[in-house]
Amino acid sequence: MKKKDKVDYVKNGKRLDGRKVDELRPIKIEAGVLQRADGSAYLEWGQNKVLVAVYGPREALPKHIQNPYRALVNYNYRMATFSVPDRKSPKPGRREIEISKVSGEALERAIFLERFPNTTIDVFVEILDSNAGTRVAALSAASVALADAGIPMRDLVSAVGVGKAGGEVILDLNKAEEDAPDAVDMPIAMLPRTKEIVLLQMDGLFTKKEWQKSMKLAEKGCEQVYEAQREALRKKFLEAEKEDKKSKKAGDQ
Amino acid sequence: MEKETRRKKIVVPGELVTEERKRIGSHVFVDEGKVYADSLGISYPDSSTASVVPLHGKYIPGRNDLIVGIISNETFNSYIVDINSIYHSFISKDSVRHELKRGSIISAIIQNVDEINEADLEDIRVFFGGEVIEVSPVKVPRIIGKNGSMLNVLKDNTGCNLIVGRNGWVWAKDGNLGLLVKAIRLIERESHLSDLTNKVEAFLKDEKGETKK
Amino acid sequence: MEETIWDLRTDKTIAAIKEGKRLDGRKFDEYREVKIVNDISENADGSARVLLGKTDVIAGIKMVPGDPYPDSPDEGTISVGAELLPLASPSFESGPPREEATELARVVDRGIRESKAIDFKKLCIREGELVWIVFIDVYTMNHDGNLFDACSIAALSSLLKTKIPKLEADRVVAHEYAGKLALARKPLLSTFAKMANNVVLDPILSEEKAMEARFSCATTEDDCLCAFQKGGGGSFTESEIDNCIDVAFKKAKDIRKLL
Repeated sequence: MKKKDKVDYVKNGKRLDGRKVDELRPIKIEAGVLQRADGSAYLEWGQNKVLVAVYGPREALPKHIQNPYRALVNYNYRMATFSVPDRKSPKPGRREIEISKVSGEALERAIFLERFPNTTIDVFVEILDSNAGTRVAALSAASVALADAGIPMRDLVSAVGVGKAGGEVILDLNKAEEDAPDAVDMPIAMLPRTKEIVLLQMDGLFTKKEWQKSMKLAEKGCEQVYEAQREALRKKFLEAEKEDKKSKKAGDQ
Repeated sequence: MEKETRRKKIVVPGELVTEERKRIGSHVFVDEGKVYADSLGISYPDSSTASVVPLHGKYIPGRNDLIVGIISNETFNSYIVDINSIYHSFISKDSVRHELKRGSIISAIIQNVDEINEADLEDIRVFFGGEVIEVSPVKVPRIIGKNGSMLNVLKDNTGCNLIVGRNGWVWAKDGNLGLLVKAIRLIERESHLSDLTNKVEAFLKDEKGETKK
Repeated sequence: MEETIWDLRTDKTIAAIKEGKRLDGRKFDEYREVKIVNDISENADGSARVLLGKTDVIAGIKMVPGDPYPDSPDEGTISVGAELLPLASPSFESGPPREEATELARVVDRGIRESKAIDFKKLCIREGELVWIVFIDVYTMNHDGNLFDACSIAALSSLLKTKIPKLEADRVVAHEYAGKLALARKPLLSTFAKMANNVVLDPILSEEKAMEARFSCATTEDDCLCAFQKGGGGSFTESEIDNCIDVAFKKAKDIRKLL
């Protein structure tokens, strides 16, 4: 998608794919989709498709990696070989290793890790289809999977991409926008309640003003992601509740 | 039973449970004077205690719980017991008369739980043979029933020896195990029905009648 | 294990920070002394050794002719590698710190790449056939905290001294050069550590052990931001990041004067 001639990334308030500057691609989240995992989630965000499984807390092995004061978060972000235009090598690349590191760290702030010493919480992410913004899609799905696993948390983690294309600050860049000559890509994750920033990366050339403008969009975007996450979890509960209704206390011996 | 009348609210982790000063129950935390949920579950706004009943989660050992465990390994003076929780438990080899091996099934009472939910076991019983049926720990109360009523129905109609562990493991031996599993799955699936004990009893009688034919 | 002694230092570090002090007496927004020695390797096309306090790193550049990427036939590229050498810290020998090294390399890479300091089009030798690949490899010699900034200074400093090798029949002629690598900008990383609700610039190792979260920000001399990276299990508020950006602009200017 290299374009020499000038492209209008925003024209009459509309982007190349018809979205407004502050509009997310459609998000669909489903919790509890994998049978063996302690918690799981499936997420579609535009063309992005992500499956996340959570296992744990479980004993961290080998023993020397255990932390006697808290649980470890082991986040594995992987892209399926067919999830990108050219086949990707199945071997985790440097990008995947870095994303795994910062994403796991982003979740740490949300989880009550100190309640589970010597354990690990394993998060496995598989990107099945991609079109820019997979790390924030994965992180948003991962926090739903953690809640589905019943892991105690301070908050969900809501993540979104913001940035710039063709001189315009926009929310949730797609691949075409990310390939703009002046593109700036800023993935960010927040705890929705306290607005704490738990993941922040950026590349591209940005002024401080543009950064501040992006933050406003990011906050708005995270709120919408949070609503989708909350809805997915509530839906999961209502399904389970249908089966569980009326007998809440009947079993007390 | 006050069930339908109580107001309920589904909460996700980090969601406000109450701003009022209330007794703090389980699965909540306090931040700047307000109470928030730490798990996906339901809260009861009218209750005098701020707490959340989680949808699911791992079995967290509680004192005096009866659990079913499986020996997973041994050291030179103890057995390591898988209790279907986050941590393993240990029992001293002196506390059991029999020699156990990986896969041996026991039941035990949780004598004590430390601050990181590691459990000490007592009143160890060793089982020879039988099977372990897995159920969701949150459904265990349903399988026992009020005052053990459901448990009795299951025992009487399947002829099984039965120990229902709070940790979601059910040990069963002899009798009609296939029928028992069917009945347990029915309880799990249809636990929303009122009068479940009678329904399960009818189901069991019906099934038995059919198999006799 | 060295862990035990670091626990004690962590307590001391936090206690000091709460009193508005740092263990080495610096202000919260002050860099350690920076020393740069250029051209430390004759075989390298550019090189530099950087001391940031006791943190000691070396960067070396090798320009190698190679194939262009199919989607950018008229552009060369850069490649940053980072090695956490076992000689730099006792903890580097126990198990491969793979993800730390990967993150370090990628953040240094992004700072340079995204600033557009190097015009990749000027690295083209013959379109679609041959381009320059600029290999920037950084090695840690002694780890006393903030490898990010030390490696970033070393990488930039060595790039500023890099000579383009002479080519004969598409092969590099050793020790002969055909000009200097042009840099349009001077991007530098500034890294902050957050602990006990305070944010400090250029953390020493004991501060890194005590920190809850880390934030790095790459800036250019023309007041552009070109890379961010947040790390660690804690969090930042928006206003904390805002402050970090202001400090980064100011303090990177001072370091640029040393180049």
